[in-house]
Amino acid sequence: MPLIDPSVVDLSRLQFALTALYHFLFVPLTLGMTFLLCAMETTYVITGKEIYKEMTHFWGKLFGINFAIGVATGLTMEFEFGTNWSMYSHFVGDVFGTPLAIEGLMAFFMESTFIGLMFFGWDRLSRPGHLAVTYLTALGSNLSALWILVANGFMQNPQGASFDADTMRMQFNSFVSLVFSEDAQAKFVHTSIAGFVTGALFVMGISAFYILRKQHMALAARSFRVAALFGIISSLAVVTLGDALGRLDYLVQPTKIAAIEGLWEDSNAHGSATSAPWLLFALPNDATQTNAAEIGVPYVLTPLITHSMDTPIPGLLSLEQQAGPRILNGIKAINALQQYGVTHDAASLATFKQYENDMGYGFLAQKNAPNQDLTQITPANQDAIVAQTEKDTIPNVFVTFWAFRIMMFLGFYFVALFAFAAYYSLRNELEKHPLLLKAALWSIPLPILACEFGWITAEAGRQPWSVYGWLPTFQAASSHPVGYMVFSLIGFAALYSAFIAAELYLMFKFARLGPQDHHAEPTVGGGATMFGKPQLADKSWQ
Amino acid sequence: MGKLFKFIGLAAALALALFLAVIAGDYGPWYFAWLVGTTMIVLIAAAGAVMFDAQEANSNGKV
Repeated sequence: MPLIDPSVVDLSRLQFALTALYHFLFVPLTLGMTFLLCAMETTYVITGKEIYKEMTHFWGKLFGINFAIGVATGLTMEFEFGTNWSMYSHFVGDVFGTPLAIEGLMAFFMESTFIGLMFFGWDRLSRPGHLAVTYLTALGSNLSALWILVANGFMQNPQGASFDADTMRMQFNSFVSLVFSEDAQAKFVHTSIAGFVTGALFVMGISAFYILRKQHMALAARSFRVAALFGIISSLAVVTLGDALGRLDYLVQPTKIAAIEGLWEDSNAHGSATSAPWLLFALPNDATQTNAAEIGVPYVLTPLITHSMDTPIPGLLSLEQQAGPRILNGIKAINALQQYGVTHDAASLATFKQYENDMGYGFLAQKNAPNQDLTQITPANQDAIVAQTEKDTIPNVFVTFWAFRIMMFLGFYFVALFAFAAYYSLRNELEKHPLLLKAALWSIPLPILACEFGWITAEAGRQPWSVYGWLPTFQAASSHPVGYMVFSLIGFAALYSAFIAAELYLMFKFARLGPQDHHAEPTVGGGATMFGKPQLADKSWQ
Repeated sequence: MGKLFKFIGLAAALALALFLAVIAGDYGPWYFAWLVGTTMIVLIAAAGAVMFDAQEANSNGKV
């Protein structure tokens, strides 16, 4: 079968990356804001104070804007699997379609149903009843993420399926293995809680804006407190889960972890693995397969990745060499599979079964084979083809290395920011620290940026595979004309940019407008608040 | 009688929760951590708000 035009593959990747990254501008905020609303409404139900109801209303309005546009941007991706990734859909549709269907039928319906009740049920439901609805909305939005990440977990570390030579596709055989895959679990929790950090910084930043201007103080001070506490625990949990994902990648995706760490040679290549440095800074060069301008911290890499002091970590050059035998096996597997497709004989099937686990490496070699035909590989050209394919087995190191570092540095910045914010909020000294308030305000976009770079790390680091070890990305695309791809790419970019503009306009508008007037200021007994005399919200201040 | 049914219902819910916790703990430790952790995060954030009111009442000499 001829390979798909590389330009079409690149455009399909670009289109999916664009739509996914656009969609992911909205998702983390939805994941986090729903549980922040739960915290605020829980306080309202417990204390009965109207201010917490107003907080839930106000932040709920901003959440609603984000949710509506976020949903619109997410729908296209499910169609893209069919339109732009038809080979992928054929190959793993049996497995991949299951979590996507559950996401649509269960989580998405649940979320959409309860979100209506949440917005319009205040006067129709009892307080506990409405609180239950808010929790169910939060659970529904996070369950949506769960099923998407279960599907993504399969792409990172395929479990619960096996290849069927008769249907020429992966057959789903274990729902439990799919759902409880370690990759799916760790990725879900990491992503969900990264959303909590995003939501917390969003609420904290806008509250800081009000506090700096001494507007809506009753709402702002309480919202800041809730968000700071929500954020400090979430940011610590994100770091913990990041470490779990790193260890998992070391076990199941060694090329990704080596690319993340810019590790070309084995960690013990220059002595003991114990002293291997963790690179704070480097400029990886994919062409020369070396790093320039390395700044590392010795004795950190090995315990960080392996959770031991002396276990060596294979470098990318070793991993390339280790792929050599698998490429040879893969070529045998594909040739046997093609033979079996014609003859259906037991001998071909037995040969295929023998090398089945390396089948994906045979697909990878197809790109470098004469006329993209593996049967034309001979002892004379085999070594050159294998050597060429070995280099295709690793991801782009520069992109993976830096996407990870930007995400990680931001992650630690959030821990520090929330720690100070929580500390000064608990001491009621926020107004004495305008720099902290300004930092909170200007940091609002940073968690979204960190989520985007986290996604790039996960997806760029998985390359060259769409399903790790089984299906290369260049084999997964549809065979569209280049013009179609360019047209649809421009269309998506224009449409999604309009969505972003609409979101930003509405968010700025309603955030600047602030909450409705507080009839009941927060004080018990009607005295001065912590931030001075009670003020009514002033809608004309802007 | 009503109280008895309520007690039995709550006991059954507790037993189910424990059963699901054991399953989740065995097969999905990170899922279990998410359930427990998210509950904790929400409750601590809510407690922070309650504490804010208490501090404010203290500062006004009302408590």
